[in-house]
Amino acid sequence: MKEAMASEEIVIKIENLCKRFGNNEVLKGFNMVLKKGENLVVMGKSGSGKSVMIKCLVGLIGPDSGIIEVLGKEIDQLDQMELDELRSDIGFLFQGSALYDSMTVRENLEFPMRRHRKKFEGTTDTLPLVREALENVGLAHTMDLMPAELSGGMKRRVALARAIILKPKLILYDEPTSGLDPITAKEIIELMRSIQKKYGTSALIITHDVDCARVISERMILLVEGVNYAEGTYEELIRSQDPKVNAFFKK
Amino acid sequence: MDVKFNMVQKTKHFFEEIGDLSFFAARFFKQAVNPPFEFKELLRQCYQVGNRSLLLVMTTGFIIGLVLTLQTRPTLIEFGAVSWMPNMVGISIVREVGPVITALICSGKIASGFGAELGSMKVTEQIDAMEVSGTNPFKYLVVTRILAATLMLPLLVIFGDLIALYGSSLVEFFKGNVSFRLYFNKVFEALSFGDLIPATIKSFFFGFVIGLTGCYKGYKTGRGTAGVGIAANTAVVMASLLLFVVDFVAVFVSDIFYEL
Amino acid sequence: MANKTSIQNMKLGLFVVLGTLLVLVASYLIGNRQNMFVQNFSVNAVFKNVNGLQVGNNVRFSGINIGTVDKIDMLNDTTIVVQMKVEKKMREHIRKNAIATIGSDGLVGSMLVNIVPGVGEAVSVEDGDRLESYSRISSQNMLNTLSVTNENAALLTSDLLRVTQSLTEGKGTLGKLLNDTKMADDLEQTIINLKYSSEKVSQTLDDLQILMKGAQSDQTITGMLLSDSISAQKLKNILINLDSSSIEINRTAQNLNQWVGEIKNGQGALQLVTQDTVLANQLMRTMQNIEEGTEKFNENMEALKHNFLTRGYFRKLEKEQKKANEN
Repeated sequence: MKEAMASEEIVIKIENLCKRFGNNEVLKGFNMVLKKGENLVVMGKSGSGKSVMIKCLVGLIGPDSGIIEVLGKEIDQLDQMELDELRSDIGFLFQGSALYDSMTVRENLEFPMRRHRKKFEGTTDTLPLVREALENVGLAHTMDLMPAELSGGMKRRVALARAIILKPKLILYDEPTSGLDPITAKEIIELMRSIQKKYGTSALIITHDVDCARVISERMILLVEGVNYAEGTYEELIRSQDPKVNAFFKK
Repeated sequence: MDVKFNMVQKTKHFFEEIGDLSFFAARFFKQAVNPPFEFKELLRQCYQVGNRSLLLVMTTGFIIGLVLTLQTRPTLIEFGAVSWMPNMVGISIVREVGPVITALICSGKIASGFGAELGSMKVTEQIDAMEVSGTNPFKYLVVTRILAATLMLPLLVIFGDLIALYGSSLVEFFKGNVSFRLYFNKVFEALSFGDLIPATIKSFFFGFVIGLTGCYKGYKTGRGTAGVGIAANTAVVMASLLLFVVDFVAVFVSDIFYEL
Repeated sequence: MANKTSIQNMKLGLFVVLGTLLVLVASYLIGNRQNMFVQNFSVNAVFKNVNGLQVGNNVRFSGINIGTVDKIDMLNDTTIVVQMKVEKKMREHIRKNAIATIGSDGLVGSMLVNIVPGVGEAVSVEDGDRLESYSRISSQNMLNTLSVTNENAALLTSDLLRVTQSLTEGKGTLGKLLNDTKMADDLEQTIINLKYSSEKVSQTLDDLQILMKGAQSDQTITGMLLSDSISAQKLKNILINLDSSSIEINRTAQNLNQWVGEIKNGQGALQLVTQDTVLANQLMRTMQNIEEGTEKFNENMEALKHNFLTRGYFRKLEKEQKKANEN
């Protein structure tokens, strides 16, 4: 079953990624591969460099050294135009939803389309796309509300809708369930799964939420002290004898 | 030893900040001239900066004009020169008081607003989200705001000037029986383009400084909500300080041109 | 939603339009003062000294601001051409005989050009015309010369006084003088001249006095020109000096007269006089001085007549005289 889903086409390849902030060496040679259609969870403690790693993937942070290839393109080698074009194929769900406070939900969703119109050649009316994305997360009625009027869970769902509005090939989730109650978190995870099923996207999820990882992951990487410390399925890792690995799964 | 070290650190930090700000300004100019241009957002920001500050600017302008006239009256009466009031108030408001007071009020409102807004956007990763969405957040957020402040401040100054003169003329009307027509006639008799043009050019620079420092502080906000408060606060302090530096330079330069 | 944006844009538009309008109105009002937007024509005037006049200073015609100074060019070391932009509608009121002067606007005011209507009829000025000018500095010069002459006259009279005194006291010798009949005639003539000029001086003084009064009460044309209080004060001082010296001249003349009469009647102590050649020489020189002095004085009076400052008055005088004659 698993073999059937994960093809051999590589979506993300990270080799020997290093990044330091001042004297703080965050990533010390991180390696990772994400195959097409795969759900990969990267787990790590707070401050272990997960967020840094995922931001390197979309060029928000430049690495000190190492090679990052996303959708077959080496991030370092791209100019701004190419990078933007690549970004339109990547959905990004931010940790705190990161909805634009000054815009309505609809404007929030339309925002990514401003520059990536190429993808929607011929479509002048963005409304159906917005509606479709919002329907996917079950929030079509919130279109004209401001983010401040939404609850935390709704915000996260709107943010998810925004991440998928460009129909990306790859979605990056930065702590998709952080700050949410377990029930809402479960809803979000369900949504993530249904979206993946619907659009056949690959997903990279970083989290420290074990429940989330268990439900969604097909493969997991544990990020400890700046390197990929352990790798495997949830079942494999939970049975590991390594104390550092065990520390993740202790309740 | 520790004090000395502290001083060195502070001096280093000071120059670092100035260098950083200069880079930020250079980035602004580079981004401002290259397409794409965010016209819609620029208009929105102009509205936010211009219309939303108008009432504040007009209120302070009115009071300043009132107070300036009331305070100067006794002295001018003593010298038997109270008929020179419109000339004096007119020139001082148009040349210096109007632009500086308006700019200071705006640095309190606009620079802190920019600092807080961009700061919170930075902290909640909205700026990152924008960049990922293929929109250059610097262009969308910073360039539009700085441009809006630069363009709107001279207009605000003009409104402030007018209201301040109106306040002053009210005092003269009730206390000195000077008609509005005579008052403004005298004001414009006293004024020349040599007063209006440098003041207007100065106002553009004031607006630029306010926008620049506000955006700079907001854009460079550190992590956490505490960073937002710090950003807003330091933006106001830095903007006000820089305003006076710019004012000094402007007066200095316009003085040289007067000599020519 | 779109509605909200459009309302915002509308408000912004209103704000911007109003602000721009304000700037334009202010610019217009300031520019109006500098005559940027009304139709202008240009006139110029030549001055020796512009007393710190600057481009942009006001031009006044009979006290109304009608334009600004457009250009100040130095032609040579004593000729400065001041070009003025003047409202076109004022052209018909400014006549060719109008006179441009440089004055100041109040105690601490800036310099300005006053254009004063001339006396008598003339056609309106044309674009580019050169107006007759009157430099304040030239009036000052005139007053200075007047004052020097006055000093000369005083010196002269004191000389004469001394001579005549010694003559009347019978101390001097006038032999040479007495032998020389031509000299005696000369002396007589000189005395007549002196008398005449002293009369004239006092007459002029009266005239000037009237003029001064007029100046102070600001009624005459020259009044405005003289309203510069410092030169007025100076003029007044000179007049007082002139007055006193004319009295002296008068006295001297009387003395001389008396003395000459005595000579003619052969009543004086002639022997004593004839022996003193030194005194005789001195007297001769004095006579020459007197002649010279009166000549100078006349010249000055003539200059006064021709000078702008007082010319108007003299003309008026002439007119009145004519009128009186006709009657």
